[in-house]
Amino acid sequence: MNMNKMLRSWNSEYYVALECKDLQANAMAVDSTGTFVLLAGRRFLAVTDLDSDFVVHKFPRQSKYAVGAAEWNPTSFHKELCVISSNQRLEVLTWRTEELIQNFSVRAHTRVITDLNWHRFDPNILASCSVDTFIHLWDLRDSRKPTLSLSAVAEASQVRWNKISHHLLATAHEGDIKVWDQRKGTAPVQYIAAHLAKIHGLDWSPTSENHICSCSQDNTVKFFDTTNNRRPECVLTTNAPVWRARYTPFGTGLVTAVVPQLRRGENSLLLWNTANRNTPVHTFVGHRDVILDFEWKKQHPDDTDFRLVTWSKDQALLVWKIDNYLQKLCGFEPIESKDPFKSHEYSENFRFFKKTSPKVQPLQQEFSLLNIHIPNLTILKMDAVARHVLVKATINNFVAILKVNFPSAYPHGVPPGFEVVKEGSNIGDSIAAQLLQMLTHLALQRVSKNRTCLESCLRQMVTTLEQLSSDTENKRVYTRPYMDPHNIFNNSDVYIPFPRTSGAKFCSVGMLVCFGQPVHARRLSMKADISPRTVSSTPRALSALENTYSKRPDDYMTVSAFYYQRQRSRAKQNYMKFSKAIVHIYDALGLFFVNKQLAEEYILDGDVGTICKHNAAAAAVVGRWDLVQTWTLAELVAGPQQADEENSWSNHPFGNKLMESLISDYASQHDIQMAAMLCCIFGKEHDVSVRKSSLKSLLSPVQLVPGKKWLKPESSPYHTIPPADIVADGWVLPMLRTTRSTSLDNLTIEGPLKIPAPKTAPNSLYEYYKTAYAETLHRWGLIYHRTEVLKFMCATPEVHKGVEFISDCKHCMKPAKFGSCGSCKKLTLKCVICHLSVRGSANTCVLCGHGGHSKCMKWWLSFHDTCLSGCRCKCLMQTAGMLCP
Amino acid sequence: MVSIINSIDTGHEDIIHDAEVDYYGLRLATCSSDNTIKVYDIKSGAFSLLDDLKGHCGPVWQITWSHPKFGNLLASCSYDRKVIIWKSKEQQRKWLKHYEYANHDSSVNSVQFAPADLGLMLACGSSDGSISVLRYNPSGNAWEARKIQNAHAIGCNAVSWAPADVPVFGDRQGADEAGHRIKRLVSGGCDNLVKIWKEENDRWVEESKLEFHSDWVRDVAWAPSVGLHRFTVASCSQDRRVVIWTSDDCSTWNATVLHTFDDVVWNLSWSLNGNILAVSGGDNKITLWDESSEGNWRCISDVVKGQGQVNSQ
Repeated sequence: MNMNKMLRSWNSEYYVALECKDLQANAMAVDSTGTFVLLAGRRFLAVTDLDSDFVVHKFPRQSKYAVGAAEWNPTSFHKELCVISSNQRLEVLTWRTEELIQNFSVRAHTRVITDLNWHRFDPNILASCSVDTFIHLWDLRDSRKPTLSLSAVAEASQVRWNKISHHLLATAHEGDIKVWDQRKGTAPVQYIAAHLAKIHGLDWSPTSENHICSCSQDNTVKFFDTTNNRRPECVLTTNAPVWRARYTPFGTGLVTAVVPQLRRGENSLLLWNTANRNTPVHTFVGHRDVILDFEWKKQHPDDTDFRLVTWSKDQALLVWKIDNYLQKLCGFEPIESKDPFKSHEYSENFRFFKKTSPKVQPLQQEFSLLNIHIPNLTILKMDAVARHVLVKATINNFVAILKVNFPSAYPHGVPPGFEVVKEGSNIGDSIAAQLLQMLTHLALQRVSKNRTCLESCLRQMVTTLEQLSSDTENKRVYTRPYMDPHNIFNNSDVYIPFPRTSGAKFCSVGMLVCFGQPVHARRLSMKADISPRTVSSTPRALSALENTYSKRPDDYMTVSAFYYQRQRSRAKQNYMKFSKAIVHIYDALGLFFVNKQLAEEYILDGDVGTICKHNAAAAAVVGRWDLVQTWTLAELVAGPQQADEENSWSNHPFGNKLMESLISDYASQHDIQMAAMLCCIFGKEHDVSVRKSSLKSLLSPVQLVPGKKWLKPESSPYHTIPPADIVADGWVLPMLRTTRSTSLDNLTIEGPLKIPAPKTAPNSLYEYYKTAYAETLHRWGLIYHRTEVLKFMCATPEVHKGVEFISDCKHCMKPAKFGSCGSCKKLTLKCVICHLSVRGSANTCVLCGHGGHSKCMKWWLSFHDTCLSGCRCKCLMQTAGMLCP
Repeated sequence: MVSIINSIDTGHEDIIHDAEVDYYGLRLATCSSDNTIKVYDIKSGAFSLLDDLKGHCGPVWQITWSHPKFGNLLASCSYDRKVIIWKSKEQQRKWLKHYEYANHDSSVNSVQFAPADLGLMLACGSSDGSISVLRYNPSGNAWEARKIQNAHAIGCNAVSWAPADVPVFGDRQGADEAGHRIKRLVSGGCDNLVKIWKEENDRWVEESKLEFHSDWVRDVAWAPSVGLHRFTVASCSQDRRVVIWTSDDCSTWNATVLHTFDDVVWNLSWSLNGNILAVSGGDNKITLWDESSEGNWRCISDVVKGQGQVNSQ
């Protein structure tokens, strides 16, 4: 065992390793060997060696932010590395030969970093979490951007790697815990609604992959099994909000500390055995202020006791010994006890604090007491050994760098020497002279009374420069034309996708609408530090623009500004000269098979042979020889219509198959025009018949009996299809079968079944080809052609939604659809003019219901505008008014 | 094969985020970061500004035209969390605010009118994670909203409607099933997922969840089904990939990677008949893709913008 340790002054259970009031450290970390302790605060970083006596290496920091979290790398491979967080930045430092060297510093998050944690096993992996809701995983080998970003919706307060599994990590978000698997970065693998109040600390069990404990503001510590996270396995209730709860490296113990801000006089740590959660098994009493952090020190291989290192707010570092009896209380059986300090056990009354303050020189003391929070002033260098200070003041448009040299006799009657450093300063000689005069005068005043003068001189420097610059300042026009970006683009922007700056859309039939950045304004290469969370060069979220703003505070923060970051003056000119909002419209019709000219030329009316001939000619004009061939072939197939039935191609199984495969071939090439045309033409006979019959039902004379209600139409008369049609047009037949009545099936069976029934599946697509072609025609404005195609729609398109007029029989008062009543067989309408029953063409007024023979009505209404019946209806005018609103 | 018909200097003061030509190809609407929407008459190769629509108080991300049978409606969505439907007045030369929907808690990133056969409907996807489906009820002369809450964790970036008429694919019988007019949507979001939604009894339910992308999905586009023999959806992502999803029944989907691009891909568009896909992304390039008869996707062109040229093979 180390001799130094033997000489340590132990009281019963702890010794004071360090007391150093001026450190103002708020974070503490113990390295993996258990030798070094890092203490980090706003003003200093300090490393102390626990094995050698009271040696502390202090390194001043120049930062206005305190250190949020600090941790040593837990692996032996990188045991010299430690990481600290300061506001949004991560700093990785190397401890080597009593020097702390910064490896790199990266702006890791957009808001303050709340916690850090090294990977337990991989020496290069580090996790950080922040109020900005992201958890970033960093690889030391490429520190420019995170290797993985986990996006949690709520701000994260803690991040902890699993101590067993290589992939799991847990984060705390207010009262919830999320467990992530770094292989599945999209979403947490577990979500535990753990507490009702904020979680302050998380700790994974050192022995089980699935166990985690969380401590919270609600005075509890909860233990969860992540495989069954509905409710905690057990709950430990204390009497104060719990700041940290950590498993002991032995047994089933747990150490808790209260929340430091509370200052309830709870300056003790509690040791619990999780098996018995009613009372703590031990209280570590010794600190005189609240404990900020505590950590387990690695056990020496030949030690049986464990050491706990604690850091309190009064800047005291204590090392606690966990004796065998405490270990036993936590359910741990040490193998063998050879503790040399056993004799000290239970000697509670003996308390001893070693004074640790090293010999502090007056100058060093002054430096440590200096309040560096002087507005507009930054301290560049402060060296107590070389006895000089370098400060930089930035006031309005003035920048001054001042060097202050302290003679060895200072401050006893000897003033320091002041000097304005030319490099970096922009103040004129006269202003510099005025400044130095002021400072020397003030310094002399103070040192004559043996007082220190640095802080007052620095403050004087700021006020002097402010006065001197105010004259020129008055002339300056201060322009800050745009709003604070954080008002417009708030934090939720990290979830809003980065705006598109280019795009292409197919519109109408064959138009391609394109827009985008002009070529000369191509985005300049992005630096990795602009947005560390972006994986590729183009940012993901709108929040990337915030960085633009912070870099270039005087520019309008928009997407375009984002693209004009460097070479501003030149780019700015271009930016103004060239409009950035040009839309190009391309005619991409050439890429498609549909052809507008053909669409206009093609016909569908007439007999199949003529249609094919005409269309072939049209295709020839356009130069589509492939289509000419198809049309000629189609003509052949349909040709011998008038000829002998036996030789007809259309009756030949081959002819039908050919057309079918032609249509499906065109469709698979997306030539919707050809597919639809062929569908129309080769469904022709059938369709015409259907059309005729359906037209018949629509156009049949409609009559009304005056003042009667209108009724809805009923069925369509499909039975009017003659069997001959069906036979001649065998291949459309199956479609009929799916939509028509069963009586058709009987008819086909009777017919000459030479043709095997084709499959249904492709035919059901034909309707879609026609609809699609009709839509194309519609978009082109070829309304007539569209209607031509729609005539060939097989299924009666839609249920008629308009009004249909049905009259009631004047004799039996039953609804009669046609000229004569279905039940009494009498004619239903009597002419109001000649008082004869109407047979044939009739007209009635839709308003008053009076009407009669078309001839009579026409004759009467050509002379009069009121109804003959005397109902005072102005039939023509009022009907016209009703139909055209 | 491809020629430029028109180059329109829209005069927007900032970057354009979307441009769309209406059903007949007569009017162009553009929207921009300068918070405005402009409508141009682009008949016969000339262009003239018809209207400058001001109503949003944030960058306007996307616009969509309705089918002309509903009148010339234009819908827009913006960073200001609003969706505005504009209706034309005065012989269709001026557009006025017809309806404003402000029931999202974050930026609305995507809007699209449903196919005309489904009636007048509009889908909106927002960064608050939800999708809204607005339907016009002619009897009450009012817009009714259905909201799919938490459609995508973190945020929804894109929505696209399935075609109204869907043939029955494959050899399955039963074309007379009521399956013809099932309303479906596809959406993509920050949870890296593509989701298929289906309307069932007046509610939208998640039909399938397509997992493939490793970063935010930026755009989705449901291909017109005509000529294709199965359902086809394209999705693109921040992970620089475009994926073509195909399915026979909308429940099991196969993914094919179309291509991995050099930069983020954020825009997809199918041609009217669904055979060509236009892809554009962060590198400012537009490429057109079509599928060979063997089922391989190939690039048929590169449109380099700003130069006004389309190089096609």
